[in-house]
Amino acid sequence: MTRRLLLALTVLLLCGAAPVPQPGALKPGEAIHGRFVQERHLAGLASPLRSEGSFLLAAGKGLIWRGEKPFATVVVITPAGILQTVNGAEVQRLPASRVPFLARFYDMLGGTLSGDWSTLPHDFTVTRSAEGDHWTMVLTPARADDPAAAQLKSITVSGAKFVDAVEIRRANGDWEHLTFLEQALSAAPLAADDARLFAQAGQ
Amino acid sequence: MRLARLAWLAAVAAAALYLLLRLHHGVEFQTDLLALLPQEERDVAVQRAKDKVTALLGQRIVVLVGDADRATARAAGATLAEALTRSGTVSQVSYTLSADGLKRVGAMYFPYRFGLLTAADRARLETGRGQEIVTRALANVYGPAAIADSALLHRDPFLLLPAFLAELPTPLPRLMPDDGVLSVVDRGKTYVLVTAQLSGEAYALAAQERFMRAFTAAEAELQARAPDVTVLRFGAVFYAHAGAAAATAETSAITIISLVGTIVLVLAVFRALRPLGLTALAIAVGVVCAFAVSLCLFGTLHVAAMLFGVSLIGICLDYVLQYLAARFEIAAATPERRLRRVLPGISLGIATTLMGYATLLLAPFPGLHQVAVFSAVGLTASFITVLLWLPVLDGREPFQHGARLLAAAGRLWTFWEAPRWRWRRLALAAVAVALALIGAARLTIDDDVRRLQALPDDLKHQEAETRRLTGIAGGTEFLLVRAADDEHALETEETLAPRLAAAKADGALGGYQTLAQVIPSAARQRADRALVEDKLIQPFLADYYAQLGFAERSLAPEPERGVLTPAAIPADSPLSFLRSLVLEDDAQGAMHLVLLSGVARLDEVRRVSEAVPGVRLVDPAGDITRLLGEYRRRAMLLLGVSTLFMLPIIFWRYGLSGGARTLAPPAIAVLLTPPLMALYGIPFTFFSAMALILVLSIGFDYAVFCRETSPTQRAVTMLGVWLAMVTTLLSFGLLAFSRVFAVQAFGTTLLIGTLLAFLVSPLAGDSNSFHGKMAEKD
Repeated sequence: MTRRLLLALTVLLLCGAAPVPQPGALKPGEAIHGRFVQERHLAGLASPLRSEGSFLLAAGKGLIWRGEKPFATVVVITPAGILQTVNGAEVQRLPASRVPFLARFYDMLGGTLSGDWSTLPHDFTVTRSAEGDHWTMVLTPARADDPAAAQLKSITVSGAKFVDAVEIRRANGDWEHLTFLEQALSAAPLAADDARLFAQAGQ
Repeated sequence: MRLARLAWLAAVAAAALYLLLRLHHGVEFQTDLLALLPQEERDVAVQRAKDKVTALLGQRIVVLVGDADRATARAAGATLAEALTRSGTVSQVSYTLSADGLKRVGAMYFPYRFGLLTAADRARLETGRGQEIVTRALANVYGPAAIADSALLHRDPFLLLPAFLAELPTPLPRLMPDDGVLSVVDRGKTYVLVTAQLSGEAYALAAQERFMRAFTAAEAELQARAPDVTVLRFGAVFYAHAGAAAATAETSAITIISLVGTIVLVLAVFRALRPLGLTALAIAVGVVCAFAVSLCLFGTLHVAAMLFGVSLIGICLDYVLQYLAARFEIAAATPERRLRRVLPGISLGIATTLMGYATLLLAPFPGLHQVAVFSAVGLTASFITVLLWLPVLDGREPFQHGARLLAAAGRLWTFWEAPRWRWRRLALAAVAVALALIGAARLTIDDDVRRLQALPDDLKHQEAETRRLTGIAGGTEFLLVRAADDEHALETEETLAPRLAAAKADGALGGYQTLAQVIPSAARQRADRALVEDKLIQPFLADYYAQLGFAERSLAPEPERGVLTPAAIPADSPLSFLRSLVLEDDAQGAMHLVLLSGVARLDEVRRVSEAVPGVRLVDPAGDITRLLGEYRRRAMLLLGVSTLFMLPIIFWRYGLSGGARTLAPPAIAVLLTPPLMALYGIPFTFFSAMALILVLSIGFDYAVFCRETSPTQRAVTMLGVWLAMVTTLLSFGLLAFSRVFAVQAFGTTLLIGTLLAFLVSPLAGDSNSFHGKMAEKD
C-alpha cells in the first residue's frame, strides 16, 4: 500500500508540478490555476474513465484538485495531510502521520516548483528534448528491481510556458492522459473557500 | 581464657577454610535486584511474561545516523550496521529494507481481503451505509491519486484492502522508506535508522561491555570519516553502561579517599602501626565469618545484601576504637585493664546493635534476612576478636602523647555541662527545634523508582530526539491478555480495542498495539466476510461495475482460503516482529502482549482494560515503586521495633531517668535527620530509612559509651567516640557526594545522623556516675 501510494503520489507530483513555468519558479504568495481533463484507460473497460475539473496549486500551501465530472469531488493535498470529499462529504482523510513520506513528497513538490528537478525520485532516468518553446521530458524507471518503479513503463511530460500534458504508461498496459488548459499565474490572495480547504486538510 | 582464645582461632580458621573452598568452587552471587524482593508475583506465568517483556524491551537498540548530506548519512548507517553485525554482539541488525517487503505484506493479506475491514468500514456496513464505501472507491478511481488498475478492480472492487492496510498500526510513524532505507529528514538533516537486538541481557556486564566496545569503535570510525555525522541512540544498554561506568569511577574514588583517610587518621592519632593492624584484624575476622556462615546458611548471597552487610560490620570499629583509645588513659596500665574499663560500654553497645539487626529478620524480605544474618555474625565475630585477641596482641604501655588530643576531645562534654554555656545550649536547642519544624513541614516522601537511576542528560536528550524523529512511543506499562488459545486471545483483544480507543480519545493513553489489529480473530474475519458479501457485494457490485463501464459485471472467481492466523506471518516478513506479541501459546493456554504508549492516566487505563476478563495491566516501574514504598514503611517499623527491643536493656541497666538520658542522643539523631535533609530538599526514601537503622545503632553506641564512662575517663571515651564518628563519616558520609540517588540519600542520612549523634552524645552522660565507683576499684 505504501509503495502504491508513493507511486501514486509521485505521479501526482508530476501532475501537480505540471503547470510550472519553465524554468522560472513559483514565488511565495503566487498560485497557478487552470483546468484539467484526465482520461484513464484501464484494460477491460469499454471506454476510458474520463474526469474533468479545475485545480489550484498555491506556493507553500498545497494542491486543490476539483473534479466536476462525472461527479463533484475535491482532493486537497498539503504537507499536513490528504483530504478527499465527494459532494461535500468527507470520504477519506489521511493525516501526514499516516502518510509519513508526505513531507518528503512536499519537499519534492517545493523543489520542482522552484525549478529544481534534482529533487525528483532517484529511481527515474530523465530524457529531455526541446523544439522552440515546446519541450518534452520522458521519465523511465532506472532500476528494474524496484517493485514500485517496475509497475511503470514511462511518464511523458510536455509543455511550453506551463506543462500542457502528462501521459503515464503502466507495465500492465493501463495508461492515462492528463491535459491542462486555461492556466494562469496569479498573486492574488486565496479565495476563502480554498483557504478553508487547505486548513481542513491540515487538521 | 587461653583455651577460649585457641578455640576462637580454630573457629575462625575453619570459617576461612570453608570460605576458601566455597570460593574455589565458584560462588554465584545474585545481582538481580528482584531477587531481593519478596515473591510479590504469585502468578508464575505472569512473572515469566513480565521477565520476557522486560528482556525484549531491554535488548532493543535504536540508532539514528544523521548528516546534512543524504549520501554521507546513508554510508555511515551502512558502516554502523555492518560493524554491529560483524561484532557478533547483536542479532537482527536491520538497516536496509528488503525491496519487496511491503509487497510480501500485501501478498500475505490479499487472499483474505474480504474478511479484513477497518473499524470504520465495519460500522458503515453494519449501519447500512455501504454506499459510502462505494463512493470512496469511485472517488479514488477517478481521482488524481488513483491506486487501482483494472486487475485490482476485478479482485478488490471497493478497495477494501488498501483501506485496511492504511489503518495498520505503524511502529515507526515518522519514518519513510527512501531507496530501501528507513529515513527521516529534519531541519535539513537526513537521518537513517539502524535497529538491533542485543544478544544477552542489557544488565549483564560482560555482554554490555562487548557491545559497547564494538559500538564505540564503530562510532569513532564514522566520526573519523565524516566529522559532522550525528549519532543518536537509545536503548537500556546505553543507560546501563553509563550507570555502571559512573558507579565504578565513583566507587573507586570514594573507596580510596575513605581508606586513605581512615589509615591516616588512625596513624596520626595513635602514632603507631599496631592499632591499624588490630583494627584491620577485627574487621577482617568479622567479614570472613559473616561470609562463611551466610554462604553456609543461604547457599548464595545477594551483592546488595553483602555490601550493606559489610557496612553494618563496619560498626564494630566503634568498639575497636573504644578499646584502642583506652590506651591513652595513663592509669590503665595493661591491655587487660583497658579491656575491663571499656567492656561494659561495648558489651551494651553490641547487645543493642544486635537487637536492632535481629529485627531485620522479622521483615518478610529475603534480602533483609541475608543482611541480618551477615551483619550479626560479622559483628559478633569482630566483638569476640576484640575480647580475646586484641589485649594479647596489643602493646602493653599506655600512650603518653595524648594530652592535647584528650583535652580537645573533652571539650564537647564541657559544652554540654559547664554552667557558663547554659544559654548557648538553650539557644542551640531552640535553633535545632525551629529548623526541625521548618524541615518537617517540607518533608516529602518519594518512592519513585526512577530516582534510583541518575540518567545522564546527554543520553536522555538523545532518546528524546530519537523518539521525536521516529515517533517511537515511550512507556514501560503493558497489558497481558490470557485466554484458552490464540483465537480467544485475539477475540479478547477485539473486545478490548474499542475501550482502549475510547481511552485514547479521552487522552488517558497515547496509543496501543495489539496483535488483533494486524491479524483479526477468525471469528471476526468470518463475520466481516459475511458482512461484505451481504451488505456490499450483493447490493452494490453490479451497479458499480456498470458505472465504471466494465464488460464483466461479476467478481473474478477465487478459491476458498479460510482465515488468516498469526502463524501465517512469514519469518522474513516485515511484520514478523509481531510474533513477539505472542508470549505463550501452548496446551496451557495463550498469553498475548498489548503494548501501550504515552499512558497519561494509568488508573483509568487499568480500569477500562481490566474490566475485560483475562486482561491485566502490568506496570513494572510502578510495581518497583510500590515495593520501595512498602520497604520504606517496613524499615520505619523495624526502626520502632528495634528501639522497643533495646529499651529493656537500657532501663534495666540505667534505671528510668538514666535510661531516658541514654535514649536521648539516638532519638535526637533519628528524629532530626529527616527534617534537616528536607531543608536541603532531599525527599525521604527507603534508602534514608535503612540508613536511619544504622544511625540508631550508632547513636546508641555513642550514648552507651558516654553513659558508662566515669568523669576521669570522659576524655578518653570521647576520643574513642570522636574517632568512631570520623571513620564512619569517612566510610559512609562520603557517599553523600555520590551521583547515584540511592547511594546519595543513604550517605547524606548517615552523614547528618552520625554528626548529630556525636554532637549530642554527652547528653547521655551522668555526672554522678555509679560506674565511677567501679573504675575507682581498679
